[in-house]
Amino acid sequence: MANEKVDVVIVGAGASGSTYAAVLAKAGKKVVVLEQGPDWQLSDLISSDFWGRRVKPAGAPFLLEGKNPVSYGYQGGWGVGGAALHYFANFPRLLPNDFRIKSEHNRAHDWPISYQDVAPYYDKVARDVGVSGDAKAEEIWRPAGDPYPMPPMKTFRNGQIWLKGFESVGIRMVPAAVGMNSTEYKGRPACIYDGWCHVGCPIGALANPLVTYLADARKAGAEVRPWSNVTRVLTNAQGTKVTGVEYYDQKKERQVQEASVVVLAAWAAQNPRLLLNSSTDKHPKGLANTNGLVGKYMMTHFSSGTLAIFDENVENHMGTTGAQYMSYERYGKTAHKGAFGSSFIVAGTALKTSDLGGFANARLDLFGPELAAFMKRAARGFSRIGAFGEEMPNIENRIELASDKDELGMPLGRIIHSYDDEVPKLWEANFAEGLAIAKAAGAKEMWSGRGNIPTIHLMGGTIMGTGAENSVVNSYGQTHEIANLYMAGPGIFATSGASNPTYTIFALSLRGAEQLATKWSTIAG
Amino acid sequence: MSQMERRAFMKGAAGGALAFTVGGIEVLLTPAAARAQGVPLRTLTAAQAATLEALGETLVPGARHAGIAHFVDQQISIPADEALLEARILNVRPPYANFYRAALAAVDRASQALNNGRNFTQLGEAEQRSLVDNMRQNKIEGWQGPGGPFVYLLLRSDAVDVVYGTMDGYAGLGIPYMPHSAPTKRW
Repeated sequence: MANEKVDVVIVGAGASGSTYAAVLAKAGKKVVVLEQGPDWQLSDLISSDFWGRRVKPAGAPFLLEGKNPVSYGYQGGWGVGGAALHYFANFPRLLPNDFRIKSEHNRAHDWPISYQDVAPYYDKVARDVGVSGDAKAEEIWRPAGDPYPMPPMKTFRNGQIWLKGFESVGIRMVPAAVGMNSTEYKGRPACIYDGWCHVGCPIGALANPLVTYLADARKAGAEVRPWSNVTRVLTNAQGTKVTGVEYYDQKKERQVQEASVVVLAAWAAQNPRLLLNSSTDKHPKGLANTNGLVGKYMMTHFSSGTLAIFDENVENHMGTTGAQYMSYERYGKTAHKGAFGSSFIVAGTALKTSDLGGFANARLDLFGPELAAFMKRAARGFSRIGAFGEEMPNIENRIELASDKDELGMPLGRIIHSYDDEVPKLWEANFAEGLAIAKAAGAKEMWSGRGNIPTIHLMGGTIMGTGAENSVVNSYGQTHEIANLYMAGPGIFATSGASNPTYTIFALSLRGAEQLATKWSTIAG
Repeated sequence: MSQMERRAFMKGAAGGALAFTVGGIEVLLTPAAARAQGVPLRTLTAAQAATLEALGETLVPGARHAGIAHFVDQQISIPADEALLEARILNVRPPYANFYRAALAAVDRASQALNNGRNFTQLGEAEQRSLVDNMRQNKIEGWQGPGGPFVYLLLRSDAVDVVYGTMDGYAGLGIPYMPHSAPTKRW
């Protein structure tokens, strides 16, 4: 079935798709957003680890291969709001050194833009969605910018107790920048610090798309169609322009949505899957893939968690799932001797009992009566800190189409991911420092959260660069090959940095959407 | 789902109850209540449920009475995109029933091989602990099925869910549950 042609069709209603939808709808464009999953409301966000899993990925699975298979189930999203419906809303930004690793260290590649190109959009996003923090305090590590619109969030004993330890190793901690309301903001209430952010904030104190950009988009007339599973991007006969998308609705009936511009904002893994599945005689390797770079350079973060039990009640149930304190003190690419890559440090997070992040998983080796005893001790005195590490882009880490197909006949995506030899060095360096911090903080028991090296925050796959010889898109997310086809989200990151990605996703999406709106007649004409 | 059905579902969901079929009628019960009332299983066999209960109890004391078997049985009997299982987060490929059947069969196969043909439920407590500990460390020779450490992780998570993830579980540890909106039931 063909639907009335619109100006823009956006695939995905998460952080990036919502931002594009808001900007373009407010610019007067007719916008349709297609979302694979349900149309969640705030009232659907139940304060429970069980029920929070309903907003985690469903639909066609990705096949996971490589030495360090990507684990996307906890971080990914399902339905309107996407992963940003249940993210932790830590809002660190990338720093200037992230944009020029090649120039400064002859590794990886430079971004085609600098920090200064993105900085105004960080400030703008902060005003749009509401960010709490202390920008001035962060300026010991980054260029000055606008102050955040809200003061820092409250802190609690489970965060404060670590400060002495950080100080002992020379790490300065500052109030964490978070996409949460420390005060009422734009009609949304202040946070109540009950620590259920990770299953979705039903009061809208956390800046999820439902209460920020997607709400703006809907108000400006954008239409959001849930249960719309996009399978192909369509092109004209010459292969010079995209003309819309093919999708299947909730009844599994094929639909076509024509549009002057297509924005793929599905997910770092799903966007390449769509491009690869949209091959034609003019684009035999898939759209925007003449250079073979679609799906390449997938990246993740890894964390070194230091866990400890203190001999006092740290009230670990209090606060937010995001951090109370953060630090870029080890963000220099060579900050740790013998290792390469940035580390971003956080402390002070509210904890629950179950689920992947629950403290029952803090000692996975325990079961039976020993686990029961640990749970009692941990309920009172357990806390943890973390250091996110940066993975360098590697062309072998990739998405490709598998021979298995989903229920709609679309090939499944296969994600192949292995860490290089640098990653364990940085992982270990952060573990070692974490234990020193815990000891100095006075922890009674302390240990490193080992196991397999985790894979967090999937990025890359449609990276940005200076041209088709090195990338899929330009700095706005516009594909080099087809002017009216855009990519949005963490897939366009050229490198990963070590900062949680969503603030940068919002900022780059805002930058891309504004460029598209400004140059509309050239791009869509 | 109609708006009215959706509201009814959400009311139950907020309380933590799941939809079990009793006498041909769907009722909202906690898994513990479903077990106590003898609600018929929908997907697991009685033998599989017994193995799951024994495993759950070995992993997390209290899991049997908290209804781990009824919880898993109900969850693997509904569409995967509605499931509340940790399997969803750990990238288990649906249908989830396949994983549980394979995992429980693997445990019983290993138990029989190591204990003169006895199933896991027929072992003493110390033997059950020993098997679980070896499964955790991938030390069971000839193990057939999903990886032993992964089976341990996932079933332990289910057991933690039903024992410690509920409002009663929080109360038992002395932790304020602090939901945004107070559930109508304690699950």
